[in-house]
Amino acid sequence: MSALSDYRRREESITMSSEPVGMGETHELLTLNIGPHHPATHGVLRLIATLEGEVVRDIKPIIGYVHTGIEKTAEQKSYWKAIPVVERMDYLSYYFNAMAYCGAVETLLGIEVPPRAQYLRIIHLELNRIMSHLVWLGTSALDLGAMSMFWYCFRERETILDLFEMSSGQRMHTRYFQVGGVIEDIPAGFARNVQRFIDEMPSRADQYADLLEKNEILLSRLRDTCVLDEQTLLGWGVTGPLLRAAGNPWDLRKAAPYSSYDHFDFRIPVGTVGDNYDRFRVRHAELYESTKIIQQALNGLPEGPHIVEDRKVALPPRHELATSMESLIHHFKLVTEGFRVPEGECYYPIESPRGELGCFVRADGSAKPARVHMRDPSFVNLQATAPMVKDAYIADLIATLAMVDPVLGGVDR
Amino acid sequence: MPYDPGKDVVEVMRHPPRSAAASTYRIFGETLRGMKTTLARVVEGPLTIQYPEEKTPVYPRFRGRHKLHRFETGDPDNPGLEKCVGCSLCAAACPADCIRVVAAENTPEHRVSAGERYAAVYEINLSRCIFCGYCEVACPFDAITMGHDYEMSDYTRSDLIFTKEMLLAEPLERTPLRTAAE
Ligand code: SF4
Ligand code: SF4
Repeated sequence: MSALSDYRRREESITMSSEPVGMGETHELLTLNIGPHHPATHGVLRLIATLEGEVVRDIKPIIGYVHTGIEKTAEQKSYWKAIPVVERMDYLSYYFNAMAYCGAVETLLGIEVPPRAQYLRIIHLELNRIMSHLVWLGTSALDLGAMSMFWYCFRERETILDLFEMSSGQRMHTRYFQVGGVIEDIPAGFARNVQRFIDEMPSRADQYADLLEKNEILLSRLRDTCVLDEQTLLGWGVTGPLLRAAGNPWDLRKAAPYSSYDHFDFRIPVGTVGDNYDRFRVRHAELYESTKIIQQALNGLPEGPHIVEDRKVALPPRHELATSMESLIHHFKLVTEGFRVPEGECYYPIESPRGELGCFVRADGSAKPARVHMRDPSFVNLQATAPMVKDAYIADLIATLAMVDPVLGGVDR
Repeated sequence: MPYDPGKDVVEVMRHPPRSAAASTYRIFGETLRGMKTTLARVVEGPLTIQYPEEKTPVYPRFRGRHKLHRFETGDPDNPGLEKCVGCSLCAAACPADCIRVVAAENTPEHRVSAGERYAAVYEINLSRCIFCGYCEVACPFDAITMGHDYEMSDYTRSDLIFTKEMLLAEPLERTPLRTAAE
């Protein structure tokens, strides 16, 4: 069956009627369409909720509204040109997308990233994690009725975006990570600005906690709602803060350290039962842990090159172009054709703010990837929403969706 | 080897226990504490920028609207030769395929650039551009750089196709620049 008719069949199988479904005369089920444009869906997500009174009996997430075909587009581009493209999948964790992709290509090429580049990557990754969690915290609190949280979180996010602009030239989708390292060294003053930010961040996170953690409205919205146990979560393939909230300390930064995460001393916050309150606390606690990692990376930032010296992979430094014919030839070759990657395939998983973000790259020996696939955590985690909200109130559905934190750009790709 | 993070795991705080007395206290006490937190922010002053009147300064590395460059002569009547030699490296590097370069030969009577050839047509479709800056990285002659302009909206799509003349012209000085010390 062709893909289109399969899609049509599935779409038609969704029953949109509000007819009673064998519920007798006094009860009937109501099918409610939420989205695709709804502030509570945090993106272009459509939910078809089957309600019995105020209680959710079933939801069907319908995705695909922001499908961009990025995976396919990446196949048409040489390896370095695919970096700005894959960055645009999960638009809140662009450094992670680039890291997973570059990591996969580096593994295929068998190159060792210089330590300074690894540390610079970690600084940016963790800043990005804080930024992503701040967006999550701000918008989730907004869903629960706490308006000022949104402004506070976006104030700190603004500081982080300024830092990104300072080091890489762009606030989002920075293409700062390149295969073999980072494109430029950090500018003068960047370390000081990062230091200023991480000095301030813990006290800001304390303020968020003051506002939220014992607030009675928030407690009654989150406490013991939509619990899903560890085994079910594992069964759905859920990773990241959602799994950790249920007590499983699975964190790829510890379990399979990449990019010298094993040099740093940080802890994994885990929850106990896995209700929405735990999900909130786990992510909130991660703000502090990320700050700690940045501090250590900043203190221990090694000297050295910021990208590999291999002229077959990395562009030669600019000043050499005017003096060295050989550099000019390498530059010309890399820009027009790009580097070739030996045949093979690689899956490179990293811990994104939402869970395991893996990039699969298959190389066929040419200068373009034969296949790029992202295992996006939002896509997998979103499936667990239905079992979570089953038999919960519809208000809890909104809270749960906020705590699941799906990014629809990553879900649809 | 099974994965065991051991002592690196820290359990987050559970919610406070449910009880009618505690929750009555929280309704007033914690709400007041939250109010204290928000009111204490008042002394920090507003951070809002009155955007159209006030502009956010950008950092030196900021990638905004492109600029094509000439060799400086310092004489407004006699503009220098264009740096661009029409080699199309920028077009080859562009991931969005939004640069179009058509090269032509320089002749002794009609010399436009310093090299053998020059760009007869140079267009960037800014409605497709993703501001990745690869064109700037790719150009071996520093002929194209990313400027600091970020206000580029227009009413029609065709107005967003910037021609060589528009890219060579000095942009209106609109965007303030941050110093490295800020
Ligand atoms: S900034 Fe990127 S997308 Fe825009 S013209 Fe240059 S290479 Fe193309
Ligand atoms: S701008 Fe630079 S890279 Fe592009 S055609 Fe001109 S000289 Fe070549």
